[in-house]
Amino acid sequence: MKPHSLISSFNPANEPDTLASHERAEIDASTRLPVLLFFSSAIFWLLIGSLLGLISAWKMTHPWFLDQMAWLTFGRLRPAHLNAVIYGWASAAGIGVGLWLMARLCRIPLIHSKLLISAAIFWNLGVFVGVLGILAGDSRSIEWLEFPGYATPILFVAYAFIGIWAIIMFRFRKPGHVYVSQWYLFAAFLWFPWLYATANILLIWQPIQGSAQGAVNWWFAHNVLGLWFTPIGLASAYYMIPKVIGRPIHSYYLSILGFWSLALFYSWNGMHHLIGGPFPAWMISASVVASIMMFIPVVTVAINHHMTMRGHFDALKWSPTLRFTVFGAMTYTVVSLQGSSMAIPSLNTLTHFTDYTIGHAHLGLYGFFSMMMFGAMYYIVPRLTGWEWPSATAIRWHFWLVASGIILMVGSLSLGGVLQGLALYDPQVSFRSSLDYATPFRMVRGISGFLLLAGHLVFAGHFAVMLLKIGRRREGPALFAEPSKPEAATV
Amino acid sequence: MTAGFLLLIGGLVFLSGSALFAFYWSVKDGQLDNLGEAAKTIFDDGEPIGAATDKFPSRK
Amino acid sequence: MNKLPLIFLGVFLTFASSWVGLVVYPYFALGRMQPLPDEDTGGFFPPSNPGLAVAGQRVYAANGCVYCHSQQVRRAPLSTDIEKGLGPRQTVARDYLRAQPVFLGTMRTGPDLTNIGVRQPDANWHHKHLYEPQTVTDWSVMPSFRYLYRMQEIQGQPSANAVKGLSGPHAPPPGFEVVPTDEANALVAYLLSLKRNYPLPESPEPPVKK
Ligand code: HEC
Repeated sequence: MKPHSLISSFNPANEPDTLASHERAEIDASTRLPVLLFFSSAIFWLLIGSLLGLISAWKMTHPWFLDQMAWLTFGRLRPAHLNAVIYGWASAAGIGVGLWLMARLCRIPLIHSKLLISAAIFWNLGVFVGVLGILAGDSRSIEWLEFPGYATPILFVAYAFIGIWAIIMFRFRKPGHVYVSQWYLFAAFLWFPWLYATANILLIWQPIQGSAQGAVNWWFAHNVLGLWFTPIGLASAYYMIPKVIGRPIHSYYLSILGFWSLALFYSWNGMHHLIGGPFPAWMISASVVASIMMFIPVVTVAINHHMTMRGHFDALKWSPTLRFTVFGAMTYTVVSLQGSSMAIPSLNTLTHFTDYTIGHAHLGLYGFFSMMMFGAMYYIVPRLTGWEWPSATAIRWHFWLVASGIILMVGSLSLGGVLQGLALYDPQVSFRSSLDYATPFRMVRGISGFLLLAGHLVFAGHFAVMLLKIGRRREGPALFAEPSKPEAATV
Repeated sequence: MTAGFLLLIGGLVFLSGSALFAFYWSVKDGQLDNLGEAAKTIFDDGEPIGAATDKFPSRK
Repeated sequence: MNKLPLIFLGVFLTFASSWVGLVVYPYFALGRMQPLPDEDTGGFFPPSNPGLAVAGQRVYAANGCVYCHSQQVRRAPLSTDIEKGLGPRQTVARDYLRAQPVFLGTMRTGPDLTNIGVRQPDANWHHKHLYEPQTVTDWSVMPSFRYLYRMQEIQGQPSANAVKGLSGPHAPPPGFEVVPTDEANALVAYLLSLKRNYPLPESPEPPVKK
């Protein structure tokens, strides 16, 4: 046992020398290697992905930029960006957070870590082969499924390891309640292989005929967001918010209700990407209705998180985890309500086919999910390494760079998208105007990309420094400091 | 018959089967009792309710 | 206590409903659809495409045209597509029977291409445009696909398939010519095959508004 700090000795509530603390430290330590592997590879892909995105963004306003080589063309960089951030960053970060949460919530040390280490290696190999395949010209141009057919089986192998591991862990868990985060995680771990297998078989390996491909494509792409990323993000929020402020979730009943209504309505949503498309009307209508019904799970989550946080908002000042997580949770509400509204046909006529959709996607995947993952990483990594984050300043820079970056990006794309949509709709207006309206906003979006990339560089550097164990050793197996110390209260 | 067809039918049978089976078990098991307690399961003696567990790293 | 079954149940049941509706149903209903025989000519609607156009789909996919170009004409009042001349009628499931993959698209950074073969039937125009879009449409933000073309010295007679009328910074200097690669030829054949000028009973042409 490491020596306790003086401060913790004064506060009996923080007395670390209990059985539970030993157990927790042991569980955390057992997850170290696999979780850090997933995290560090995720951060690597985050950097690659944001660079690819930044170049793509500038290409939209400067088409001559890097246009001489096939592998640098916009139509390859953009899917490379998307797949690098979806599979390389977001999924891997989500898996890392998921593994750690699973171990903590099952209340047993992580077993079979070799399975997970192989999974991490295969997963990254799959992403690497897939991204290179896209750049080399083997992209399938099926949105969110661009990876060529030779990359996806590698991801499957990786995934199979993780799925098997999740089931084993769940079987061996300590008895007791299954906490809501675990419901979300377990559901996500079950949904993903089904989604991914169905989509790959029906679109890549044995393609079905005609416009049915569109239905399967968007059933998949939307569900990856809703039934893979969203549950992992919410699992993290349902754990981090109560843990950080030390207060149980406001209404556990609401959280369970939110879980099932999400499962029910979300899975039908995807077709709203194809409103007016070549499909039977009822399919689209069902999706529109389900998209609007998403109101229920979203509002239950929002109320629940708000009520849990009530009276504790000052914690945003002293907890990095909470700051990122609450940003993500609030964005979840905004982005989901925005999504519901975009499915309403009269509003959809304006935003369909425009940059508005791109803004919405970034708000969801970045403003909500990625921020949740940053928050969780700030909580988890010190507990794995036994070292504190070296610099509070770096955390603040990270937060403000990416928060302003994403707000600028979504704001500019939304405004530009609406103008673009108005021009595309009005028969009196030429097609050219739709470009002219969107261009200045696309430039602003290009600038926002620099902010995000800068934020990611700060984060990646900070993470690397921490892994190299520069900085201070943590005092004991968890952070037992008085949170409201004035030195930590600067924003 | 195509592989896709088999996949779809097989999947459907498997899913409905496991769902029904699961339902039978869960009813017998009396799940979802005592929801109120569940929210507290993430706290324990080492990190009790009321104790905050995160902060910005202190500067030295 | 074992909560696994309940989790399984709910997860599978709820998810399965969407799977049946959005995957299994289209698999049977849309995936089994047949082209309509055309009694006058003995052909089919939609007509089958030449092999080069089929190969062109791969080039279209590899270079990501779908991220800027949609291929769907939507009905009024959801859109003004028909009024804007993107096509004579709404596109329906049968129109996509021969597409592999189906490039419905979700962005219109560039114009819809459902009917580009009718709007722009000249292969040389497409080659010129793909080679350097800004020399054809000066305000275009479409990237150049010069890498699908080869610049070579003219040996004796200029090649028959050389792209004519190129201008701008990348135009061939005197004594040189630009010829399309096989990929460029396939891509243009594909673009020229994009025509929705045949009738389908399930999608009548709306009367032209004045
Ligand atoms: C960055 C977005 C972008 C990409 C990628 C892109 N285009 Fe375009 N495309 C445009 C824009 C903008 C226009 C309208 C201006 C013009 O005619 O150049 C256009 C116009 C066109 C036109 C003329 C349409 C008309 O109605 O006159 C064709 C044909 C075309 N593109 C084909 C392609 C093909 C084939 C590819 C892929 C190899 C492709 N485009 C990739 C943006 C793009």
